[in-house]
Amino acid sequence: MAIVGSGPAGMSAAARAAETGMTHVLLEAEPHLSNTIFRYQKGKRVMAEPTVLPLRSPIGFEEGKREAILDVWNRGVTDLKVNVRFRAEVTGISGSRGDFSIALKGGETVQARHVVMAIGVQGNLRKLGVPGEDLERVQYQLDDPDAYGSETIIVVGAGDAAIENALALAEAGNVVSIVNRRDEFSRAKDGNNSAILAAIEDEALGCYYDASPRMVEELAPGDSSGKPLRLVLDCKEGEAEIYCDRVIARLGAIPPRKFVESCGIEFPSADITSIPAVSPRYESNVEGMYIVGALAGYPLIKQAMNQGYEVIEFIAGRDVKPADEPLLEEVFRKIPFGLSVDENLDLIQQVVPVLEPLTTLQLREFLLDSKVHSPADGEEIFAFNDYTNSFYSILAGEVEVQIDPDDPSSGIRLAAGQFFGEMSLISGRRRSATVRAVGNDTLLVETPRRSMNKLLQSVDAVRQVIDQSFILRALQTQIAPGVPAEKLQSVAASTTLRHFKAGEVLFNEGDEGDALYLLRSGSVTVSRDLGGRSTPVAYVAAGNYVGEMALISDLPRMATVTAAVACDALRLEGQAFKELMAMSADVRASIEGQYKDRLVANAAAESRSRNGSMIGFLVSQGLGEATDVLLIDESLCVRCDHCEKACASTHGNVSRLNREAGPTYASLHVPTSCRHCEHPHCMKDCPPDAINRAPNGEVFINDSCIGCGNCERNCPYGVIQMGAVSQEKPKLWQWILTGVGLAPGTSVPYDKESGVPKKAVKCDMCKDLAGGPACVRACPTGAALRLSPEEFMELAADRA
Amino acid sequence: MVLHESFLTHANSRWLKLSLLLCAIAVGLYIYHDPTAGPNGGTWLGYGLGTLGLMLILWLALLGVRKRSYSSRLGTVKGWTSAHVWLGLALIVVGTLHTGFQFGLNVHTLAWVLMMLVILSGLWGVFAYQRYPNIITDRRGALPAEDMLREIAELDRQLVLVASELGKDIHDRTLQSIARTRLGGSFWQQVRGIADQATGEGLVKRLREELNKPVIAGKPAMTATAPTNEGNATMMFVADAFVSGQQDVKQRETRRKLLDLFSRKKALVSNLNADVTRRARLTLWLYFHVPLTIALIASLLVHALAVFIYW
Repeated sequence: MAIVGSGPAGMSAAARAAETGMTHVLLEAEPHLSNTIFRYQKGKRVMAEPTVLPLRSPIGFEEGKREAILDVWNRGVTDLKVNVRFRAEVTGISGSRGDFSIALKGGETVQARHVVMAIGVQGNLRKLGVPGEDLERVQYQLDDPDAYGSETIIVVGAGDAAIENALALAEAGNVVSIVNRRDEFSRAKDGNNSAILAAIEDEALGCYYDASPRMVEELAPGDSSGKPLRLVLDCKEGEAEIYCDRVIARLGAIPPRKFVESCGIEFPSADITSIPAVSPRYESNVEGMYIVGALAGYPLIKQAMNQGYEVIEFIAGRDVKPADEPLLEEVFRKIPFGLSVDENLDLIQQVVPVLEPLTTLQLREFLLDSKVHSPADGEEIFAFNDYTNSFYSILAGEVEVQIDPDDPSSGIRLAAGQFFGEMSLISGRRRSATVRAVGNDTLLVETPRRSMNKLLQSVDAVRQVIDQSFILRALQTQIAPGVPAEKLQSVAASTTLRHFKAGEVLFNEGDEGDALYLLRSGSVTVSRDLGGRSTPVAYVAAGNYVGEMALISDLPRMATVTAAVACDALRLEGQAFKELMAMSADVRASIEGQYKDRLVANAAAESRSRNGSMIGFLVSQGLGEATDVLLIDESLCVRCDHCEKACASTHGNVSRLNREAGPTYASLHVPTSCRHCEHPHCMKDCPPDAINRAPNGEVFINDSCIGCGNCERNCPYGVIQMGAVSQEKPKLWQWILTGVGLAPGTSVPYDKESGVPKKAVKCDMCKDLAGGPACVRACPTGAALRLSPEEFMELAADRA
Repeated sequence: MVLHESFLTHANSRWLKLSLLLCAIAVGLYIYHDPTAGPNGGTWLGYGLGTLGLMLILWLALLGVRKRSYSSRLGTVKGWTSAHVWLGLALIVVGTLHTGFQFGLNVHTLAWVLMMLVILSGLWGVFAYQRYPNIITDRRGALPAEDMLREIAELDRQLVLVASELGKDIHDRTLQSIARTRLGGSFWQQVRGIADQATGEGLVKRLREELNKPVIAGKPAMTATAPTNEGNATMMFVADAFVSGQQDVKQRETRRKLLDLFSRKKALVSNLNADVTRRARLTLWLYFHVPLTIALIASLLVHALAVFIYW
């Protein structure tokens, strides 16, 4: 047997072959084992994810430093007497099972009955793809960060390599900025994710979010910038120019397609990141040629090592269960059919079409995080307005989705193979329906929000299915209830999904009305030009639609609609909308009712333009996406700060609100305090998933917070801070009578010496205290109130 | 639905109504009661009113404790404040009727006087709480105090930067002016209001004068940093004059910038100081109310002891 590549997968395979006495040769192009890991930067901490997965290999591996790991591997390979040929670069493979010939550079040929391809993808690094990508000072590898000490270095990328390089370079004394194409580092391992966020938080290095390089240019020596390179970035806000000494791009690697294809292996798509398909036994379309490790889509070391072991077992004709088998057995315990793990996986993929595009390995990973439920007849899975957001697939039986909470007969039945829960998953809002099990045979797979989001990000096909279904269901629940799904198909097909950035205009007043927008996530403000001034007249949240007025009246747009926060909206073309209206009298009536309400609202807003300004003010303060907000009437507020003190006193001496900060409009002050957003920005990117929503809607951070500062950065309202709660309890009477000790309500500043790590702290609306929020209860004059959106919109109207 | 509502009308003016009822009962009893020795603190009604008054005073003083007991679920602080104000006012009736209008130069009347002073200072507080919050909001402008401070620091930074282009003298005087900027001050200074000073008056005046001087072609209006061009050949003189003329325009521009920065800073500093003053005036009454309360409680102890030992 020939094993090509001595990375974790190939080495583990060779070691297993040696252990079981198989004739084998491990071919490695370099003069050392495992070139990818070997080229990791010195002292790099190598993670052993996924942590739940047990290791199965004759060679050891656990989280640790690069050097220690390489040492263990070298000793393992020597001890097991693995037959390694270094400097043996493979140039081509031909033949079939039982008779492969492997050509080496230099002309030699190796004969083998089986080939295990474990070449990984790191030999083929991805470049910047912009002018200047091949300049000398633009590099794609970093061997030793300590080789640079006083340079300005831009690291491009958001993966583990980029993060580790950036951190090490900053540590070595360079001025480092990292360029991230997206607004979070979620692709990285948890540990790296929190480390980079902490470094950005501490300003140890800079970060450009939502930025991508446009070009790199070499500057003439003696350029006025004093730097040899100029990097131009496209950022959200526009173009940024950076003068630097070096650009290090760590954009991952792409499969060495040419070589792999020359061996006869097929790729499923033309996409450059596409990887060859393999059977559950890791066999490629060329019989007898197996693929393991990163080239098979599994870039994690532990998975690769396990696969190396398993592939040898398969080749030797021994059946071996994958290492996650016992974990999956536990997950499947509630499935009563007495099936094996493989059979259960098959069953799930057969029954649930949305999971069909997943490879077996992806499915296993997905299910490792999931739970199987077998609810009893009538049992509630979740209720209307609950704040949960997991995703459910129906494996067997039926559920009933009750859309109208007051009308138990408004149910839609969903059968095995269908899924639900995606509405809240996508919009981040409360459940839009109550779901109950029907009969006693229902089996559900519940997947947490994070795993589902990961899947949506990595498998396009799944995303498409969910999006399609979302469109259909949104039409069904929000525009045309009661119209059967079949009749909506054609309308759904012409509906498109649009993304709008905050501040982007959906349509302008006076435009021709060409479409209706159903908001899937985010929210918009509706404003009208009143006397030459754009005046917000209304706020529309996700789950509602805008733009129907022009379609019904055939008049130009009556208002401008602007995204208040980033929004996803379904765009329903005018023609399709009219078809929908024609379909059912009920639909027509409900849309016309909405139309009339809005006409009235517009007229009212016109007569009270101050109310409009108040709405504009409240929405501009993010109250539009709030579920509960602290508002202070400054005509009553005596600036005593007892609200802040009460907060500090009841929350470990760290106040979560800043009364003075924040704007005021017509005596109404919006202090810096959590709004408990319907779609919490803070929750978006929390590595330990520590931010949760309590059943009553309070967004709170639990003890598993790792202090990465992600939420603080993500919160657009600046209401989360990093601090350490202290157990100190100020003594009231002692302080009153003697003045000694801390005054009650004092915010104890963070003590670096204490060694207590900083964690994120925010308002939890005093959910654990009887009687409601302490800030409001402590206000002596009635100035502080916490209000729901309905209440503060009423307040806006009152104040007009 | 009631949204924001003042403590004075809390819970449908419950405490106002209760206080009025209490006063009515006290007055009614006082009229009905006709002791032989004339009304005084020693009758059953006198003792009753006295005891009630004392209990009320002690309870009213407990507001300071309740409002700092942040975890307390015993009513809301707003409710307590409402009760404090209205029952405190009722004390005028209860306390005065307790005296039976027997005033004199003694420790007992001292207690009554102190009580009235406490109540008066409290009334002042109610007045201040009605008046200043709106004034503070209306006049503060858009910036919160913290941002004003930041803005001032930023202006200082720019002042130094711009001044450094205008020679050592102006630079030094700008630094001096920055060092002399005063914000806040002691409480009494805050209450009185800090006179606007040290925003570079002298320097500002000088800069203004210099800017008003007419510019003669090529001649710099200021000589401190402008190059001289005496004794040069005609050619050189023309070239120089041209250069210094340009320089002059630039210098005037810089001076104007400095002046502008000074006036912006002055406006901010006086705005911030005025804000501080208004806030100080909002709480000034407490500096009387609380010490007077302590004095009142002390004098009440003396009054009660005196009554029980010597009566």
